[in-house]
Parts: sequence; C-alpha cells; structure tokens
Amino acid sequence: MSATHEVSRLLAEWAKGNQQALDDLTPLVYRELRQLAASYLRKEYPGHTLQPTALVHEAYMRLVDQKSPAWQGRSHFFGVAARLMRQILVDHARKRQAGKRAGHKVSLEEVVSFQPERSRDLVALDSGLKALEGLDPRKCKAVELRYFVGLSMDEIAQSLDVSTVTVRRDLRMAEAWLLKEMQSG
Amino acid sequence: MDRCHLTPERWAQIEELFHRAVECETKQRVSLLDEACTDDPELRREVEVLLSCDGRAGNYVQVAVRSELDAVGFPLSGKTVSHYRILDGVGGGGMGLVYRAEDIRLGRQVALKFLPEDSAKDALALGRFEREARAASALEHPNICSIYEFGEHEGQPFLVMQLLEGQTVGELIHAAHGQPPLGLNQLVDLAIQITDGLEAAHRQNIIHRDIKPANIFITNEGQVKILDFGLAKLARAVTAAGDDSERDHGNDRNTGGLPPAVMPTADSDLFLSRTGVAMGTAGYMSPEQVRGEKLDARTDLFSFGLVLYEMATAKRAFKGDTGAVLHDAILKQVPTPARQLNSNVPAKLGQIITKALEKDREVRYRTVSEMRADLEILKREMGPRNRFRWLFTVAVTVIALIAISTFFWFEKRQPSTAVPPNIKFRQLTINSSENPVSTGAISPNGKYLAYVDTQGIHVKDIETGATQTVAQLKDLKKDSVNWEIIDADWLPDSTRFLANAHPANESSDAWSSRTTNIWMFSRLNTAPRRLREHAIAWSVSPDGALISFGTNTGKLGEREIWLMDSDGEQARKLFDTDANSSIGGFLWSADGQRGLSLKSDPSGDTLLSRDVHGGPPITVLTPSEGKQIRGGFSWLPDGRLIYQVGEPGSGFTDTCNFWTMRLDQHTGKLMEGPKRLTNGTGSCITSANATADGRRLAFLQSSGGHDTGYVADLEAGGKHIRNPRHFTLEDAYDDITDWTADSKTLILVYTRGDHYGLYRQPLSGDTPEPIVASGKGGLLEEAFVSPDGKWVITQLYPIPGGPSEPNKIMRVPLSGGAPELIFNVHEGSTFFCARPPSNLCAVAEQSEDRKQVIITAFDPIKGRGSELARFDQDPAFDPKAGPLLWNISPDGTRIVAARSPQGPILIHSLRGQPIQVIKPKALARMRLLSWAADGRGLFVSNLTKTGTEVVHVDLRGKTQVMWKSVGGPAFGIPSPDGRHLAIDTSLQSANMWMMENF
Repeated sequence: MSATHEVSRLLAEWAKGNQQALDDLTPLVYRELRQLAASYLRKEYPGHTLQPTALVHEAYMRLVDQKSPAWQGRSHFFGVAARLMRQILVDHARKRQAGKRAGHKVSLEEVVSFQPERSRDLVALDSGLKALEGLDPRKCKAVELRYFVGLSMDEIAQSLDVSTVTVRRDLRMAEAWLLKEMQSG
Repeated sequence: MDRCHLTPERWAQIEELFHRAVECETKQRVSLLDEACTDDPELRREVEVLLSCDGRAGNYVQVAVRSELDAVGFPLSGKTVSHYRILDGVGGGGMGLVYRAEDIRLGRQVALKFLPEDSAKDALALGRFEREARAASALEHPNICSIYEFGEHEGQPFLVMQLLEGQTVGELIHAAHGQPPLGLNQLVDLAIQITDGLEAAHRQNIIHRDIKPANIFITNEGQVKILDFGLAKLARAVTAAGDDSERDHGNDRNTGGLPPAVMPTADSDLFLSRTGVAMGTAGYMSPEQVRGEKLDARTDLFSFGLVLYEMATAKRAFKGDTGAVLHDAILKQVPTPARQLNSNVPAKLGQIITKALEKDREVRYRTVSEMRADLEILKREMGPRNRFRWLFTVAVTVIALIAISTFFWFEKRQPSTAVPPNIKFRQLTINSSENPVSTGAISPNGKYLAYVDTQGIHVKDIETGATQTVAQLKDLKKDSVNWEIIDADWLPDSTRFLANAHPANESSDAWSSRTTNIWMFSRLNTAPRRLREHAIAWSVSPDGALISFGTNTGKLGEREIWLMDSDGEQARKLFDTDANSSIGGFLWSADGQRGLSLKSDPSGDTLLSRDVHGGPPITVLTPSEGKQIRGGFSWLPDGRLIYQVGEPGSGFTDTCNFWTMRLDQHTGKLMEGPKRLTNGTGSCITSANATADGRRLAFLQSSGGHDTGYVADLEAGGKHIRNPRHFTLEDAYDDITDWTADSKTLILVYTRGDHYGLYRQPLSGDTPEPIVASGKGGLLEEAFVSPDGKWVITQLYPIPGGPSEPNKIMRVPLSGGAPELIFNVHEGSTFFCARPPSNLCAVAEQSEDRKQVIITAFDPIKGRGSELARFDQDPAFDPKAGPLLWNISPDGTRIVAARSPQGPILIHSLRGQPIQVIKPKALARMRLLSWAADGRGLFVSNLTKTGTEVVHVDLRGKTQVMWKSVGGPAFGIPSPDGRHLAIDTSLQSANMWMMENF
C-alpha cells in the first residue's frame, strides 16, 4: 500500500533528522488514528472503554512496512502517534466543551445519565503537559507514551533510550505534578 | 510556587526530594522533610503537595484519555437526532454503533442502532430492510426485543429499539471461560422462553435467520429477548457475507447484537446472488442456509439447537477457521454429543439438541412448538420450578444508583438561598421539555405519584423510580382524550385514583363538565372504569367513601357540586350557585365534615368553606383578599391550607410561591393569617396535593425555557400534524419565520445582544446558510420572503436602551447581501406577504387615535403603495402587549384580522365581498394569525393558562388544537405547498416535584 510505504519512508527520513518529514507524516497518521478510533469501537466490548494501545498498535501495523529495519521506525512512530493522539483527543474535548458552553445549559438527562464529564479534565491535562514539556521534556514524552499510546514501562524505556527505573521515576514525579497542576487549575 | 518561575535547578531539587520522600517510610518522611527544608519552607510545601497527589494521578489521567476516546468513537453522544436525545454509546457491532437515547416525546429510554453508511446507498437493501423491520416491529412479544421505529439521520438509517439491561447469551458463555455458564434449571427456563419468542414470530411467518448466542439477550430480570428479527437480510446485503468463526462469542455484543463485521469469503456473494435469500452468521447457519436453499422456520430451530448446545456445553458444535471449513462441518459433521462434554446434561436434553440439529430438516423438529413441548416435559421431569434470581441484585443496584444520582441533582437545583431552611424539595418526574407533565397527584401514603404527560397516565413508585403506564392516549382512541389528574384524586387505599377525560382538541382553558367524563384507574392495572359522564371530578373524601364533582356548566364554569359514592352510584347534588357565578373545586377537611370551594363571579373569587351536611357557607377569603391566589390548594390534617400566590413575572408566565394559612377544621374559619412558605418557587402551577399525613406535598413546576423550532407533516386536510421533528439547532436560532415559495427552505433569525442573524436552511439539510450573518443597528423578529422570491423582507427594531430610531422595513437579497431600507414605520406595525402568483406585501399600522388599523400595500423595491383596508380595533388593545392580529391570505385576496386577542376574527375581502365573522370557542388570548396554505383555515396561536397552543380554525370557527407548548409561545407557519407546518416555539419543561418539612 502506498500509505504504508509513504509512512515508512517518512519515518526513516525523520530518523535521519529531516523535520519536514514529520510535518508530512502528521496528517497521514492523524487520519488513520481518527478512522481507527471510530471503527475500532465496533469490535470492542461495550462498557469497556477503548484502549489507546490497541488503536495505535493497529495503526502501526497498517501504516508501517514491517519488513523494513523497523525498530527505530517503531519507536519514532509511537512518538508521533502519542503526540497525535493527544492532539486528537484534546481537540475533541475542546470542541465538546465549546459545544457545551454554547449550549450553556446542561439538561437533566445529562446530569443523571452518569456520563462522566471528562472533557474538562483532558483540556486541563493538556495544559499541564505543555508546562511539563517546558520543564522536563522527557517526562512529558513518557506521559504521552504511557497514556496516549499505552506503552509498557519497558517499551517507553526503549523508546526514550533510558532505563526502566528511570521511566518509573519520571512517571511518578510527572503524574503527581500533573495532578497537582490539574487540581490547582 | 508558580511553575513559570521554576528553574531547571529548582525543578531538579524538587524532584530529588520527592523521590527521596516517596522511597522512605511514611513515618520518616516528616523528619526527612524537616531536615531537607530547614531554610526552605516553599520547597517543603511543593513536595508535600506532590506527595499528596502521588499514587492517585495515573488513574485520573487514564480515565480522562479513555473517556475522550470513547467520545470520539461515539460521535453522536449528547446530540439530538429526530426526537431522540442521545445519551451515550453502549456498543458497536459490525453493523454500526448503538447508542442509549431518550425519546424526548415519550420520555423513555431507547436504544438507537445506526446502520453503516454503506447500507444507505443500497436503496433496494434499505427498502427491504425497512419492510422487514416494520414486520418485525409488529411482533409484540415479551421474549422479542421490540423495534419501535425506523429513522434516518443525515442519510444514515437507524432503528429505534427497546433498551435492554443485561447481557447476551454469547457474553454469558464468554464470561464463563469454558465452563457451562448456566445451571440446568436456568438453562431450561431460558430455552423455553426462547421457544416462546420464536413461536410468536413463526406464527406471523417471520423467520429470524440469524439465531446465535449474540442475538439472544437475557435481561437483568432473567427475561429472554430475541434481538434483531428481520435484520439478517440486511446484514447480508450490506456487509460481505462471511465468517465469524475466529471471533470470540462476546465480540459482536451490543444491546441490539447485530452481526459482527465479517471478513469476506469466496462463497459469500454466491449465496447472495444465487438465491437472494439472507443468511445467518456462518457458525450458526443451518445446512439449508449453507446450501442457499429457500428457508422456512425450521432453519431457526437448527440455529437454536446450536445455541442450546453451546449453552449446555460451553463449546461450539461446529468449529472452523474459515467460512468454508465451517460450512463443510455444518453440512457433514455430527457434533460430539453434548452429554460427553458435560455429564450434567440430562439424556432428554441431549435428545432435544440432537433432534434440533438434524441436518435433514424433514427429520428435525417440525415446529418450535414441538420443541417447546419437549422442553416442558424435561422441565417437569427435573422437578419443581426454580426460577432463577441470579441477576436480580444487579437490577436493584442500578435502580438505587439512579435514585441516588437523581436525588443529588435535586439537592443542587433547589432554590436554596430563598427557601426556609427546613423545606426539602425533590423532583419526582424527569420528563423532557417536549413531553411536559400536565397534572399529577401523590398517593395518600406518599409512595406513588400518578401523573399525566403527552403520552398518557403513569404511576411512579417514588422510592424505586419504577414507572408504569396505566393509560396511553391510544387506549381509547388516539388523540381523543386529554387526561387530567385532579389534586386529591387518590382513594385512601393508595391503589385507585380518578382522572378526568377531556376532549383532546379542547383547550385546557375550555375544560368543563359538559365534555368531561370521570374515570377510575388502578395502579394494579385492572381495567379503568368510567364512573360518570358530563362531570368533572374534584376530589375524593378522606375516608374514600365519596367523590365530589362539578357539573352543569354555566357562563363562568360549573354551577353545581355533587357527591357520589366511590363506585359512581348514589349521585346527589350538594350545592348550586346562580347563573352569574360558578363554583369550583371541593377540598375536604381531614375529618371529612367540611369542604372548601372557590366561588367565582364578576367581582372575583371567594373562598368558601361549607359543611358537607348543609348549612350556610363561611367566607374564608373575600375576592380582594384572594386576588393573587392561583390555586394549588391543599388542606392538611393540621388545618393548614397551602396554596399558591402569583406575582406578575416577566414574559409569558407569572411567578408563584406557596403560602399557608390555618383554618379551623370544624368551623372552617380562618385561624392564622397568610404566611409565605417559599420564595422563588418559579412559575405558577395548577396541580398540588398532599399526602394523608400532610408531610409531603407534590406539585407541578415548570422551568427553563429556550427557543426552538420543529417541522411537522400536515395531514387530514391540514388539521393534524404528524412526525414533528426538531429543525433548528438548539440555541443557535431563535425563530423560524417563513418558508421560501418552493416549500423547500426555511428562514431563521436570531438575536444576540446588539446584533442579529438571518439564515436560510433547506428542509432536507441541517446547515443554515447565512443571508445576513451578523447584522447590526437593530433587532429582528419578522422575516418574510417576498412573493417574487428575490428578497427577504424584515423589520428592524431599535435596540432597547439604544438611540431612539424608527422601526425600519428592510430588504435583503435571499441569496445574501447587505440589508437596505425600504421605508420607516411606527412602533407596533407589522407586515406580511402573500404567496406567488400574488405579489402583495402589506404593512399594518395603527391610526393616530389607535382606534383603527390601516393596511397599506408595499413593494420591496418601490416602497409604500396604496391603502388596502382599514378596520376598527379595540382601543384598549396595547400593541406593546402583543402584535396587531392580522395576516394576508396566501392568494392575496383576503385579510384576516382580530379586533382584540379575544376576537372575534374577521375576514375582510379585498375584492369587495362581505366581511366574514368567525367566533371560535375558547380562543381568548390570540397572539398570531397565520393562513393555512389553501386559504381555507387559519393557524392561531393562543395563550392558555399553562402555555401556548397552535389551533387550527376553519372558516366556520371549528377548532382543532395542533400543538401545545408549556410556558413559552408557539407559532405555526405552514409551508406554501400545505404539506408541512413549521412550529416556532419555546420549550419549558414541566415536572412534578415534592416538598417536605414545610
């Protein structure tokens, strides 16, 4: 498939340090993730929430040529996917919030339907991550990979080229700090 | 500490200390921090906050991410589709997404199953699907999931189905991890229910064709519901046929359980093209289905045999990785006997399964009834019936959760600031604004609420929230009745209650005993009984022996109070009043010895108390004392009388509050003066009553108006509407004002602050296109398309509080552009246009002395033309209180006008014909006159006690109520082709509430 070829090529380019490749890569992956998010649910058990892990892994399978010397590509891919997933979800949350605001009333049904209102949390998380990125970019990356892609500690360690112990420490600090930020904001 | 000022060094310092702290024991943390932060309290504070967050953060982040991902996947969550408010996604199958939604008209929750976009493109498949779905929807059986409706949203077809709580047999098996999921009694019980459902369908010649574990649902109450009758055909038509063999049982679960997305196999299209016959899911097909033969009901028996096999053994009878292998197995293999896989399976059950799985259908069970009979024998052999209750606890928990969350909401919403501290409010019904509660009453024991909404009469168990419908409108004759539950209508047994049946086409302002019958209902669902005709029930005595009712309608209302026994016999007159007054209501004292009634005459309302056995009445309140009393009376056992007092509010409704005074039970005399009980309860209500112990008071309350628009289909010569659906996006637009001449597009306006917007939106689309996106310099209300179709003509009103300017009649090209002035008019003027081929537009203006209205023709380009007509107007009529009442007939030959909101309605001919006078009954507060497209009738907006009605009035004055809104206005705007009615309205919700500790 040409998309697969294209993504693999762009990943390789990006690995070589071509920043334009990332810009070209972004819309391809974005589209794939969105489509997957919408279609993936159909196979999921209702009542179980959608797992980002499954989604990003499937996107990887679809978009990246597995036969190419892939490890570096895989790592890069997840880095891109994590950022994109964050972008997709935060955009979505913002839109939902905006819709709510424009509506400026919450119906009784919404209040009693147990629908957890998380769009606000996600927007707050996003601004926390932005701040974290300024302070400690690696920690921000670790959080993205952990929660927006669902990588394991070992995978994150490989992806960031640090030890698993470091990832654990990074995440523990980052999570506590983010929650603090979200609560104060 | 502000994060902006965190230096990398400081950040490293915080992190280092944080890690040291989390790694040591809690006890040592304090000393660690003491030591590390001796001179740095800020560092300590920072690390302490982080420590307090430690361990909780991960989950929080995870939940936020996953919830949003779900929202991406279920994009319609929170939207309104047709008259369904979508709450959340509950599942997805290969056939599309399933949502939980609220039917806003019926106030019930339903499942909306969207079919995939591809299906919408295949008209043939879609048509077949709709026919099948309609056939299946005719299947009303407790063991078949009901299909309510078939609809379409943005080209995507959807089914509206019963919302079920529970799980499919597929999930049940899946969750048992290879162990038989059910006890034998449960299994046989479920199996018999499944045969019951199949029997009902087969009797109607409907074959399921896709019986499989994922299509058999077990509710939390243990009731079987077979899902997706009639869907197999579509499934085949829209997805490539195929194979789910590699999938797990539960994989395609959803509340509706459509077949999963399946991978195409080589032979799938062959089946479809060769036979045109729909097929089931590969692993559960019958041999004849695999062979593509014509199917009969016996195919379902084979598939059911496979399901039964799996329920008994937790294993599939036929296995295969591809459709082809599976099909081969179905045709040729004999499955391992169920008893070999599960030794608990009785021989009889093994035989039943084997007989169902006969490959030759001639040898199989011939009918489902035969199979059912064998299952019944098995059940008898197994001993006493032991119906399972294993899932019951789940249901109870869910209800409890709903009750709790609902209650929290009440707590939040009650007007806490102004209300005396001890009063507690609790909302009892949660009807949406489109299905307002109209009347209701709490049972004497405080446990039940009987209430009426647009669908009929319901009884709600207040503690559990369980609601049953005791009378639907269609129970008598569709739309023929408006039910009314009067305040003290329950009998003391808290089982039976009374309701008044009023004609549906009669405005609530016009209700009278002349056209009313009294019915008795029971919450135990025994058949309702008509107790009396031409009578309007008022109350039941505290001992339940007597019913008071009003009859003999006079000029002002009922003139007589009667009593009868609770079985409707022994009716006798208690009291009557003279021809110039009326007497309303009868509120019993707790000892049943006295009654309170309101006597009305031209001087006002007098509250009277009277001995049931006779004697002169005692005046409790004179007309001047009772001037602001709005009703809602309850007489409590402690002698207190609770009632509502109104103060003029803004807009369409007054504001009401509860007040109280104490009366002597025996003499009926006022003991303790009026005292205000609540502050800021809101709009006025008519329904209020208390429990027998006087501790709970239920009342109707409306709130929260917002502008919205509907489009409905007109039928029965334009006198009825059908299928009203939301047209405007909620909140984005204020009003629908007109149609284009081709009846395909609607004109919408909104005002926000100091600017206005003017839009057109095709009937078939949902994206409004701007004509004027953000207009300044005034506010718009009216916008009509000029007869030549080139312009939208509007009236621009000066912004309140802004510079004093005249009203301006403006034109804007329909295709969009800048508004241009045509001419100025006085405040209070209104204009209308006829439809092509007429090219008439005209403006109505009051004469200087306000005694006349002058109608002048105008042209969107040339401006003012000649005077067309002038007619007298009631000088008391204040145009600020409402617009001039007139309109031009679509053909431009007649003008309708009313002298005042009370009427009469006059039809003036512009061709010299005599004036025609129409005197419709019960239209006392008219707000807008619109012509029906054929010019043979009018749509009149008329204010009632509770809101506004759109009433069709024919030229002989016969009325038919078409639409009712609660609280806000409602205007009917017919399409030029006479096929649709746009309804510009404002919705308020009306619900029953309960007050305690008052």
